[in-house]
Amino acid sequence: MAITTTLSNKHFLVLDDQPEMRSSLRAQIGSLGCTNVVVCANVKGAIEQFEKRRFDVVLCDYYLGGGTDGQQFLEYLRSRELISRGTIFIMITAEKSYESVVTAAECLPDDYLLKPFTADTLHSRVERQLEKKARLAKINTLQDKRKWAEVVTACDEIIASRDRYQVDAMRIRGNALIAAGRFDEAIAFYQQVLAARALPWAKFGLAHALHAKGELAASKATLGELIVESPRFLSAYDLLGRAHLESGQADEAMKVLDQATQVAPNSLTRHRAIAKVAEEQADFSRVEAALSQVVKKTRNTPLRNTGDIARLGNAFTELGTPDKAIALIEEAKTNFKGDQQDPHLAAIEALAHSKAGRPELAAKALARVAENANVPMSPEVTVQLAKAYLANGQIDAGEAILKRVVQTSPDSKEVHALVTKAMSAHGSPERAQALIAGSIGEVVALNNEAVRRGKAGELGAAAQMLTEAAERLPENVQIVANAAFALLLDVFSNGLDQQKFAKALAFQQQLQALDERHPKLADIAALTTTIRNKFNILEQPAEST
Amino acid sequence: MSFLDIAALSLHDIKNRLAAMASRAESRGDSDTLRDALAAAADLTRLLALYKADAGILHTEIDACCPLDLLGELQRENQPLTRLQIVVDGARAPQLWFYDPYLVRMLVLDAVQNALRFARQRITLSAVENGDCLEFRVSDDGAGFPEEILRGQTHTSRVGPEGAGVGLYLAQRVAALHQNHGVAGSVALSNEPGAVFCLRLPR
Repeated sequence: MAITTTLSNKHFLVLDDQPEMRSSLRAQIGSLGCTNVVVCANVKGAIEQFEKRRFDVVLCDYYLGGGTDGQQFLEYLRSRELISRGTIFIMITAEKSYESVVTAAECLPDDYLLKPFTADTLHSRVERQLEKKARLAKINTLQDKRKWAEVVTACDEIIASRDRYQVDAMRIRGNALIAAGRFDEAIAFYQQVLAARALPWAKFGLAHALHAKGELAASKATLGELIVESPRFLSAYDLLGRAHLESGQADEAMKVLDQATQVAPNSLTRHRAIAKVAEEQADFSRVEAALSQVVKKTRNTPLRNTGDIARLGNAFTELGTPDKAIALIEEAKTNFKGDQQDPHLAAIEALAHSKAGRPELAAKALARVAENANVPMSPEVTVQLAKAYLANGQIDAGEAILKRVVQTSPDSKEVHALVTKAMSAHGSPERAQALIAGSIGEVVALNNEAVRRGKAGELGAAAQMLTEAAERLPENVQIVANAAFALLLDVFSNGLDQQKFAKALAFQQQLQALDERHPKLADIAALTTTIRNKFNILEQPAEST
Repeated sequence: MSFLDIAALSLHDIKNRLAAMASRAESRGDSDTLRDALAAAADLTRLLALYKADAGILHTEIDACCPLDLLGELQRENQPLTRLQIVVDGARAPQLWFYDPYLVRMLVLDAVQNALRFARQRITLSAVENGDCLEFRVSDDGAGFPEEILRGQTHTSRVGPEGAGVGLYLAQRVAALHQNHGVAGSVALSNEPGAVFCLRLPR
């Protein structure tokens, strides 16, 4: 009945910390006629394999020893895009209901296999998943390319065919609608699914769409129900925590995240989320408790993250034990070469030395950052760095960094709060307000001036102003969007300038990377097409992969 | 550490050993040992589920499933372990149904393993859409269930003769967790004249 030959050319990867299970799995796969099997004993070895080549099927044991598990491994692979949607990931567990958790579809394995199982069972499962991947191949490729509108259309075809993959297609369709920013359609779609059957993923999808649309109260209510019905649906806790935070209820957020940690005590994502909320609440003992666990669990594994060490170091300093921070950072720098150049770690090291009364050592750590100034940093890290300069008495350097942070995201209340907090500790809140207002004023004035010149017909001058600003503030979405549009207008009205046109397209890509749902993208795309038609420019080949 | 944590950890170890045992048996073609190892592991899974059901922490994760996949897989897994004939009748099976695939597999597997002990020649697995319910049926050509089990099935008493009631009790609990639009799942045992296990799941 089964087509046994379909498996023989597939590439398998086995990850299990137990030697006996590894050889048993190898033998079972061999009995299916497959010879392309790579067997790994630990996450490190498996990740090296993934960096080298792609696999068709991954069989991963849930328990991997050394504080790591298969779920963490899968989340790591997905977050680094080391695994495509075309690869089958099967989690092997002793007890599914106890070990497995439900997360966003992105981080779910394709299937669970309960130990012990026979080679025949393995065969059935792999074949079934291969059939499914074949049916969903087009959709998966489109998803990997983030072409959401096309994903929706491709899902509609499968749903209309009413074959056995129709529910899989529904699940993907909902996600794609949200990713495409079509929230109202997503809400209506999920409600329609839920009317037939109270499926947990549909309920989560509904909450997700409501949240994306800004309907926090409705989203929270739906998530509350879902957590009662499906207590292992971890993504529900994550989203509920976020919704609480966004409505200013940090205590509620913390409660929800604590609940999630009880459901999944090994989840690094959850401990990190708790640390993040605690940090915002300046509850540094909780930051220490949460991140100490993460750092301990990931020490000497590829799941290790320098940001965890920096944030734990910061918590030590805030708790009045800067020497613990120094010791932690020294250990990191000794064991990992990359950490010696890390600006976040250097900033935390400088803050710790400042706190311990060693300004010369703080200055030395900061000098290291200046050497590596080109590393992209999140607003949190950048503000931390500015704080370190301020604490070290280098006021101009610190304030220049803060000014750039504000000008990059002039409308972000979170960034304003971060800057105010940093300057309240080292400087004054009044000075923070002045800096924020002044920095925003500069950007607004620049934008207004560009618009004025554009209206006065000086399109070239307007485009040049905005180009310079976008190069100085490459992450300010408004400036980058306006620069792209102004350059295109200039080209459209004053004739084709290849350099300007190329620059506009570069800004367009930059904007897409910053915010793929930016409202101005549609205008930019339309004007680009008009220009191509007007000047007979052929479209560049689409990006590969 | 709670009892559940300790139990789950021990279970993990025991199942690993059973898996190793099963793997050795499979590679040397020893289907008796393989069958026992699989049955012992299935017993442990049910034991933990039973504990969780009693503690009120057994939850379903409802998904869209293909009933014939489950029956095909159980046939393929168990046929090499027995001289009995295992047949799948999928003529009236729906393409998709909504249930927890792991819990339902646990129950149907239990019924298959029971049937393997009592059938004379043949076990039939079927999935039938019947009104608002899907019926998973496992029937054999043995002597049928003893009278006291058929009589006792409404009492949902936990301990029956030779522990036979434990599996039934768990099956009833799990079936009842499957609900949709006010209809709950159920389990029925009957003799026609061989034993018939029937798990009904709402649409």
